[in-house]
Amino acid sequence: MDLNKMDLNAPHSMGTTIIGVTYNGGVVLGADSRTSTGVYVANRASDKITQLTDNVYVCRSGSAADSQIVSDYVRYFLHQHTIQLGQPATVKVAANLVRLISYNNKNMLQTGLIVGGWDKYEGGKIYGIPLGGTIIEQPFAIGGSGSSYLYGFFDQAWKEGMTKDEAEQLVVKAVSLAIARDGASGGVVRTVIINSEGVTRNFYPGDKLPLWHEELEPQNSLLDILNTTSPEPMNI
Amino acid sequence: MSIFEYNGSALVAMVGKNCFAIASDRRLGVQLQTIATDFQRIYKIHDRLFLGLSGLATDAQTLYQRLVFRHKLYQLREERDMKPETFASLVSAVLYEKRFGPYFCQPVIAGLGEEDKPFICTMDSIGAKELAKDFVVAGTASESLYGACEAMFKPDMEAEELFETISQALLSSVDRDCLSGWGGHVYVITPTEVKERILKGRMD
Amino acid sequence: MSRSAVDVPPKGGFSFDLCRRNDMLAKKGLQPPSFLKTGTTIVGLIFQDGVILGADTRATEGPIVADKNCEKIHYMAPNIYCCGAGTAADTEAVTDMVSSQLQLHRYHTGRESRVVTALTLLKKHLFNYQGHVSAALVLGGVDITGPHLHTIYPHGSTDTLPFATMGSGSLAAMAMFESKYKEGLTREEGVNLVVEAICSGIFNDLGSGSNVDVCVITKGHKEYLRNHLLPNPRTFVNPKGFSFPKKTEVLLTKITPLKEKVEVIEGGDAMEE
Repeated sequence: MDLNKMDLNAPHSMGTTIIGVTYNGGVVLGADSRTSTGVYVANRASDKITQLTDNVYVCRSGSAADSQIVSDYVRYFLHQHTIQLGQPATVKVAANLVRLISYNNKNMLQTGLIVGGWDKYEGGKIYGIPLGGTIIEQPFAIGGSGSSYLYGFFDQAWKEGMTKDEAEQLVVKAVSLAIARDGASGGVVRTVIINSEGVTRNFYPGDKLPLWHEELEPQNSLLDILNTTSPEPMNI
Repeated sequence: MSIFEYNGSALVAMVGKNCFAIASDRRLGVQLQTIATDFQRIYKIHDRLFLGLSGLATDAQTLYQRLVFRHKLYQLREERDMKPETFASLVSAVLYEKRFGPYFCQPVIAGLGEEDKPFICTMDSIGAKELAKDFVVAGTASESLYGACEAMFKPDMEAEELFETISQALLSSVDRDCLSGWGGHVYVITPTEVKERILKGRMD
Repeated sequence: MSRSAVDVPPKGGFSFDLCRRNDMLAKKGLQPPSFLKTGTTIVGLIFQDGVILGADTRATEGPIVADKNCEKIHYMAPNIYCCGAGTAADTEAVTDMVSSQLQLHRYHTGRESRVVTALTLLKKHLFNYQGHVSAALVLGGVDITGPHLHTIYPHGSTDTLPFATMGSGSLAAMAMFESKYKEGLTREEGVNLVVEAICSGIFNDLGSGSNVDVCVITKGHKEYLRNHLLPNPRTFVNPKGFSFPKKTEVLLTKITPLKEKVEVIEGGDAMEE
């Protein structure tokens, strides 16, 4: 094995697939769960969809340390803001705070974020905040290393005015497609659905995801595969 | 070449029964050229506490001055001498302060603590303490010293046997190191007296 | 007059005085020194009533074993401990600093410290130094909200996990956890699994070695099992030891007698008014 790639001191990065999709009535956020240092999977069940307030969540990609610090600060500012205002913060305010921190510290930070949530003024909204600190309001946003495999798919599959279930199925399908093709994405699929009713979190284990082109069934052990082809694989 | 090898040094401290010994070589060099053959790298902090500084001699002397300064401030404020454990923490703090631009020094600290309990300890150049029950070594001859001490050390030696053991370990180790040698300084500290000896060694 | 301020011992923070000189020396081809590392296996897991932490006891300096029995499980608070890997001075300094902040916080609030508080203080410090303070930590403890286990990387990212490994032996140890960990382990099963994981690091990773330290933390109770297992006893003890018939040649001897310690006797004759 290439020992240079085994550098466990390399900064933690989330070679990631993150997605945010609007539907009529709210938003669905989705992410894989792999955190890696070089080629070592440091955490196979991480949660990249972080809560900012009761009604706003953020999907994190890039450097784990940077994205955690940004979301920690934004959560802190939003709590303060909620108390001062006496009502929940809007998604726009949350996204703008993320943008402010990303833009002001753009030389220090290696992180792209997708903010999604629901508020009573504008309903479900998705904001993408990529590397330099731009803010873009979008009907759907994709991010992370896995997103390059998904642009065409989303151009084809995303429809205006989907139902909640259609939107969630789309997100799970897209993340599983990216997991299949992108080595830096993997593990499980996590989704968060936010609408006027509140927040629902869902979890799709890695061995229950749909299989795509030339993918193999999940196995517990390599020996299970070997046993089916030759009766005594270890007996050489 | 590593910066630690610029002047060359060998340092070792050992624990005996209610006593300890600390020893060093006597050479000061600039790379392969010998400058002095009676160099002192073991310093007395107070009667029962000794400090050896290996590595770059200029940093060793600066560090020694700063540590004496801090110890004197402590004596003025507290009206007593520092315990060896406290002094070790002080050295560690002074070194770690320069974490990103360190003194090129590896200290060895040896002292008699409360109830004449011997204490020895060494650190790397940024103050990571390494407490040992038996012996500690430092300097360019540290690799051979590790081997010699590992083989020769016995627990609970009396002062005279401890002197003989540490001297043999030191002399046999510096003979395998070009950058240290020219005899040695040995201090054996018991609760009643400090015995300082100068050893004869090879002069090449 | 302004010079006098320089001579007062500093209250904290790093000093960069020697950086320029050291860079100059490095440019002249004098290699900067290597630091004491804990090329390490450290692990932690959550079992049915709390958290178990484990560590090996080898400290290295390059290829040399500098300490055969060092302590890598650091005290943070009575209910929180922290395993450290990476540069020994950094792990020691950062855990000491945070544990003192936690103590002050306890004096201030009069409540038991929480694991998240320790986590936030540690990650804040490490993130500030952008990975230059190279401490990789496994933080575990039991507080009012239950058992918690976190990993903290030198760059300041944190993970929350039911089982975690760190250090150069983390891959060997993780292999044991991945194959044998399950939820709701008993104390005995947990300790055994931690020992197995550390041993797999000790025997398969060259940076790890010597003995196994374990720390079991449960609600309102903790047990620090220093040298819980000694799988590498010394095999080459010379029962007679060495004696040296030919004495070393001494050129000069100087004997300084030490002053008798003055004993203060309590309850002696009272001084007259």
